[in-house]
Amino acid sequence: MPSESPTPPAGGSQERPPSRNAIAPLLETLGRDHLDPGYAQAAARRRAASAGAAPAPARRSTRPVALVVAGCLVAGVVLGVAAWRTESNQPRAENTRSALLEDIDRAQERQSLLATSAAELADQLRASQAAAGATGPLAQVTELENQGQLTPVTGPGLRIVLNQPAAGQGQDRTVILDRDLQLLVNDLWAAGAEAIAIDGVRLNTRSAIRQAGGAILVDNRPVSWPLSVEAIGDPSALQVKLVGSPSYGRFSSFEQLYGIEFDVSAQQDLNLPGGTAPELLHAQPVSTAEAPPSTR
Amino acid sequence: MYAVIALIVGVVVGLLVHPTVPEWLAPYLPIAVVAALDAVFGGLRAKLDDIFDAKVFVVSFVANVLVAAFIVFLGDQLGVGTQLSTAVVVVLGIRIFGNAAAIRRHIFKA
Repeated sequence: MPSESPTPPAGGSQERPPSRNAIAPLLETLGRDHLDPGYAQAAARRRAASAGAAPAPARRSTRPVALVVAGCLVAGVVLGVAAWRTESNQPRAENTRSALLEDIDRAQERQSLLATSAAELADQLRASQAAAGATGPLAQVTELENQGQLTPVTGPGLRIVLNQPAAGQGQDRTVILDRDLQLLVNDLWAAGAEAIAIDGVRLNTRSAIRQAGGAILVDNRPVSWPLSVEAIGDPSALQVKLVGSPSYGRFSSFEQLYGIEFDVSAQQDLNLPGGTAPELLHAQPVSTAEAPPSTR
Repeated sequence: MYAVIALIVGVVVGLLVHPTVPEWLAPYLPIAVVAALDAVFGGLRAKLDDIFDAKVFVVSFVANVLVAAFIVFLGDQLGVGTQLSTAVVVVLGIRIFGNAAAIRRHIFKA
């Protein structure tokens, strides 16, 4: 590293050249001169004054004392007020924290209440729709909702229980990834499943299965291991086709290599919840004038 | 001697009277505390060095508090308030440490 400065500080008594680096002297000053230079200057002035005037003024005026007392009083008050404020703020901060926690709890409770009431109301709505008439547009709506995987369904099918291998053995616990689950679900559809739910989350036509860190999100809702994938369809046909599919081979090899849980069983009575309807953001229903007449 | 008594009286007054600090002043209280400590330690050291001067003490105290508060105020307006408070605390903190060390050397000769 070429040095432009001709005289590096050799540690001798020579005067140091003015440093180009303005920061270093600043930091040096900070480390060296702790006392306000004003004290030294005032002392020097006093010495000069007392050397000039022959007798040192013996009388001590009360003004400096009053100044010092006032200054110390102010400093003390500042310290005391600060101490008091710190002490009095502590419980307040604690109160705020616990109040916020309570708010969160209440909001979560309210959320679950609202979710149950929404499900109840949807049930009521369907019931009254069915009561109003099994024909006409309402029947069509129900039909479409069924096809759109929006209504709860029941029937025979397969239940596949999946779990990551137990922790330990110095192994990474995350063996099953979102893409494995996607493959399995696609194979189930291909095998003729009519409705699929993962851990109680019904898949509709637009549900995504993806990974966020160690958690799996199904339709943007987190699901937890062990996962049970339930598919409604003819159990024996589903099973035969699934065994021949790539996902079955993949999960069986995972089971042998990593010790995941992979358990396929035929069930006679599966109950799958309804899925969530996708929100329409840009699409608008065609006006009734252009719609085909729905009358008989 | 009077100074020590005044300091103690001030602390007691501040603790007992509970003066309400206006909200706009509250952010500057920590800075004022550090500046006050700096002034007190500086004054004590000057006293031990026999160069104490009442005027310098009071003027430097008041000026330091005002300048520190102004820097923090300016930083708050510019959006770098925390950084500037840190700068003030670091500078005054180093001075407090240095003065305390000097006082310790005076008293314990070590």
